Amino acid sequence: MTLQQQIRSNRMRTAFVVVAFAVLIAVFAAASAVFMGRAGAIGLLAFGLAYGLFAWWNAGRMIGTLTHAHPLAKSDDPELYRLVENVSIAAGLPATPPIYLVDDPAPNAFAAGSRPSTVYVGVTTGLRKLMPPRELEAVLAHEIAHIRNRDVRLMTLAAVLVGVIAMISDFAFRMAFFSGRGSRDRNPVQLIAAVVALVLAPIAAMMLHMALSRRREFLADASAAAILNDPEAMALALRRLQLDTSEVAYADRATAHLFIESPTRSVKGPGAFLSGLFQTHPPLEDRIAALEEAGGFRLEALPA
Amino acid sequence: MNRFKHADPTLRGSGRFAPRATIGLMTWILIAVGIVLVLLVLAVVLFNRMVRLRNEVDTGWSNIDVQLKRRNDLIPNLVEAVKGYAAHERGVFEEVTNARAAMAQASTPGQAGAADSLLGMALGKLFAVAEAYPDLKASTNFLQLQSDLTDTEDKIAAARRYYNATVLGYNNAIQTFPALLFAGASGFRAREFFAADQGDRAPVAVSF
Repeated sequence: MTLQQQIRSNRMRTAFVVVAFAVLIAVFAAASAVFMGRAGAIGLLAFGLAYGLFAWWNAGRMIGTLTHAHPLAKSDDPELYRLVENVSIAAGLPATPPIYLVDDPAPNAFAAGSRPSTVYVGVTTGLRKLMPPRELEAVLAHEIAHIRNRDVRLMTLAAVLVGVIAMISDFAFRMAFFSGRGSRDRNPVQLIAAVVALVLAPIAAMMLHMALSRRREFLADASAAAILNDPEAMALALRRLQLDTSEVAYADRATAHLFIESPTRSVKGPGAFLSGLFQTHPPLEDRIAALEEAGGFRLEALPA
Repeated sequence: MNRFKHADPTLRGSGRFAPRATIGLMTWILIAVGIVLVLLVLAVVLFNRMVRLRNEVDTGWSNIDVQLKRRNDLIPNLVEAVKGYAAHERGVFEEVTNARAAMAQASTPGQAGAADSLLGMALGKLFAVAEAYPDLKASTNFLQLQSDLTDTEDKIAAARRYYNATVLGYNNAIQTFPALLFAGASGFRAREFFAADQGDRAPVAVSF
């Protein structure tokens, strides 16, 4: 599969996920209508929409606050800015996004923002110190690729939708338990179905969101390799991230999917399968293997 | 689409009351109209796609142009800086000046690419001359110019990668079926690549 085909199939998946979200929300509205009647369900949806729009508008700033990122002036690190400028030019971005620095020793990077005017690249101080220029450029190219491929926008949208569904679910539950009115004369099967829908919808939304994020990491790796014309640099950078096991302090479920590698450590052992379902990122070995195959090279095997 | 709306009730009506031959004719006409409409929509989509890709190529070229101009503005300062220490190296200065002029006159990506490699060689000689003058190499002005030039060269290389990628996409789009049937007639001509220096890495085909 070529990069163009990959981008195209990814767009199809994106459309699918957006439709799936729409269906989820519709199922949700139907389920909550059982408890609250039509007017209640419509009110809830309207509230969810308003909340979603607010979150969407302020997403960049909210993520900056959550991850403790602060803007970096060009004069503070001209070398880093040069790399970002070059990568932006090579990727064909109309403007160079600003850099935000996260004061954290764990090497990691992310891109955030819902609109072109608010989008930025976040880099931890650990990444800046650890990475040689060639690999740093690859990491930046990965983030710029997320921006160019409109991943950042979609991921932010997905995060907002997950938030909206979780919030509506929470609300509908409270309404269901605190106002028993009207629920007694309903069909018990309908009632059970509604409860199941209310429980499963947020989980399904979460899994969709994670699956989306995992696919996009492969695509961003491939795009970064194409932007720099250097798949090996991307693979080497991922290898370096793989060797480092530290975690980013201010990253959690809400922001994990934005980073280049999972900022929280994955679970090994009995819980591995369940945690696999909720992993935001594919294993680094798989991503390195994909790059090796695409570029026709092999990194040296890790010392065991 | 309007035609369908008008035709639809007629079809249903004739299905009930008219002889079979008429249904066949109406159906054939509808199919023909449908095919023409689909082809028309396809042509519009293809045309818009080619226009979009051509605009991307133009943007890619203007990105390169910005950086080439920036470098052309830096070169006289650089020549002056070296002249201050090595005034007798006239041959090198002339070569750089000529290459710079050729670069400024180049109007197509192909010409610009050829001029670019000449200029690269001339600048290489200029820096080789500068190596012999420790005072020059230590001067802040020269170091600043050198770092600006390196930065611009990197940006030209980056802009070239993007431009060549857009040219590849555009050329592929207009030279493949079915766009190639009418691309030439509607004024879509293949574009030139901006040639890479010898020092550049060969393009890697990234695929999965």
